[in-house]
Amino acid sequence: MSVMVAVTDSPEGAHALQVAVGEARHFGTDLVVLNLTLGDLDLSSLPGEPSHVVVERRGRRDPAEVVLDALQEREGSVDRLVIGVRRRSPVGKAVLGSLSQQLLLEVDIPVLAVKLPA
Amino acid sequence: MAAPHHGSTSPATPALPPDTRGPHSKRLGLITVVATFGGLLFGYDTGVINGALDPMIAYFGLTSFTEGLVTSILLLGAAIGAAVGGKLSDFQGRRRNIILLSVVFLVGTLGCVLAPTLGVLVPARFVLGLAVGGASVTVPVYLAEVAPSERRGGLVTRNELMIVSGQFAAFVVNAVIGNVWGEQEDVWRYMLAVAALPAIALFVGMLTMPESPRWLASKGRDEEALAVLRQVRSPERAEAELAEVHLLADEEKEAQTGGWSDLGTRWVRRVLFIAVGLAVFQQLTGINSIIYYGTQLLTDVGFSRNGALIANTANGLFSLLGCLVGMRLMNRVNRRTMLLFGFTGTTTAHLLVGLSSLLLPDGVLRGYVILFFVVAFVFVMQGTIGPLVWLMLAEIFPLKLRGFGLGVAVFLLWITNFLVGLAFPQLVAGVGISNTFFVFAALGVLALLFVRTFVPETRGRSLEQLESQFRRDYS
Repeated sequence: MSVMVAVTDSPEGAHALQVAVGEARHFGTDLVVLNLTLGDLDLSSLPGEPSHVVVERRGRRDPAEVVLDALQEREGSVDRLVIGVRRRSPVGKAVLGSLSQQLLLEVDIPVLAVKLPA
Repeated sequence: MAAPHHGSTSPATPALPPDTRGPHSKRLGLITVVATFGGLLFGYDTGVINGALDPMIAYFGLTSFTEGLVTSILLLGAAIGAAVGGKLSDFQGRRRNIILLSVVFLVGTLGCVLAPTLGVLVPARFVLGLAVGGASVTVPVYLAEVAPSERRGGLVTRNELMIVSGQFAAFVVNAVIGNVWGEQEDVWRYMLAVAALPAIALFVGMLTMPESPRWLASKGRDEEALAVLRQVRSPERAEAELAEVHLLADEEKEAQTGGWSDLGTRWVRRVLFIAVGLAVFQQLTGINSIIYYGTQLLTDVGFSRNGALIANTANGLFSLLGCLVGMRLMNRVNRRTMLLFGFTGTTTAHLLVGLSSLLLPDGVLRGYVILFFVVAFVFVMQGTIGPLVWLMLAEIFPLKLRGFGLGVAVFLLWITNFLVGLAFPQLVAGVGISNTFFVFAALGVLALLFVRTFVPETRGRSLEQLESQFRRDYS
């Protein structure tokens, strides 16, 4: 079994990763890290446990689709998805869409939505 | 003006045996010559309107609006052709795409040459633009993919030179035709018809040229890729290079990762903003107003019709010379320094053109003084900002953002080119030559501020270094 985390290029993304590490440890599972940024993820600070694999984005696809596909590929083996959420302006949502909203509505497994500590 | 090239930042590859000379070198040389006919056509078709426009105005009774439209509709076609052409060449292959483009070039040219009315001429110019835009993205990619890595930069540069040479050639041919058959009302048809020759040469030539090995490898057609490599590399090198070709094909897929959704990230928005700014300000120098309307401008400031046609060839010549100088300077001087110098030079030249046109009395002297400053502007522009902006567009984006970022910036570059081309005749008719150049000068000052404030130095820095700088500065 494993915990999956979608890491976006933002403080929320980094925070989601931290929380996901804790979750995976708590359940004693490994961790699937989805890199949704346009760079490389620096995972050198991750502890040795839980063991993790990184899944990279490939091709021009919607990030939500990337997450949904990765889940489908591992159907049955992922029991939790961790995402970082934040307040968005209505305009921002209208123009760029909301990844969090789409994932919360479409993912079949429990989704843990974490906010930055105030 | 040409298209992005990106051989220089390829990932480190296992050492390849050097590409020794042999029968394959000749084959590669021939491929280069044939494919750069695409660049030549790009230049010829954008430049040929300069000189053909005056007889066209008389023939069709053009207003300053329809004059701008006939000229610049080609750029709107190019914007679309560049956007669609890239996808099409990924889908059907570089070679087939270039062959298709040569047919579109020919159809567009015939449409323009035979146009009985404006209703045929304008769509035909648009079709020609589709080919120009398609060539701007397909030819450099084809050349870069066929060439061995150590010669990649040089071959792509040659394509850029062919574009400027095409414009120069169009000016010279127009000057000859205009001086010989200038009295005939159909003289513009002869001028446009000449462009059919390189289109035919491109078509016939490409039929016997091979497909790009990288494209074949990306489609899983390794056997064919290897067969092409054997044609254009020494035998020992061909086999060794297939691995590199795969690596580069993968890199190219990775470059297509980013998209609109990534604009949610601040540093991504910032990089795109800088790239678009560079692309737009390159066009707002008005370089293409000279490339399209040079002859008319010279007629307006006192040259005779035939004299202006001849004097205009100086614009083409110094554009070519500027390009040659710029390419030599490019990797020796910091990009920012060169951009600031360039915009200072072009802005000064704009002011001097404006002032001479305002202050000097009508006559031969005024014409020559303005010609001098216009030529100086063209030379400085093509020696600095012109090639440099293309280079910076190619190296500013982190790999995963490149396909998307470059696409957006190049599209807006063509659109700006279109708008400036459309507005120039109306601006000249409305506020006069000197005020038009004062507007360009004001835009130049804005460009200087933009470069000073926003544009980072990209020379000698790896993509990784740049990316982490953007991340640090803008998140």
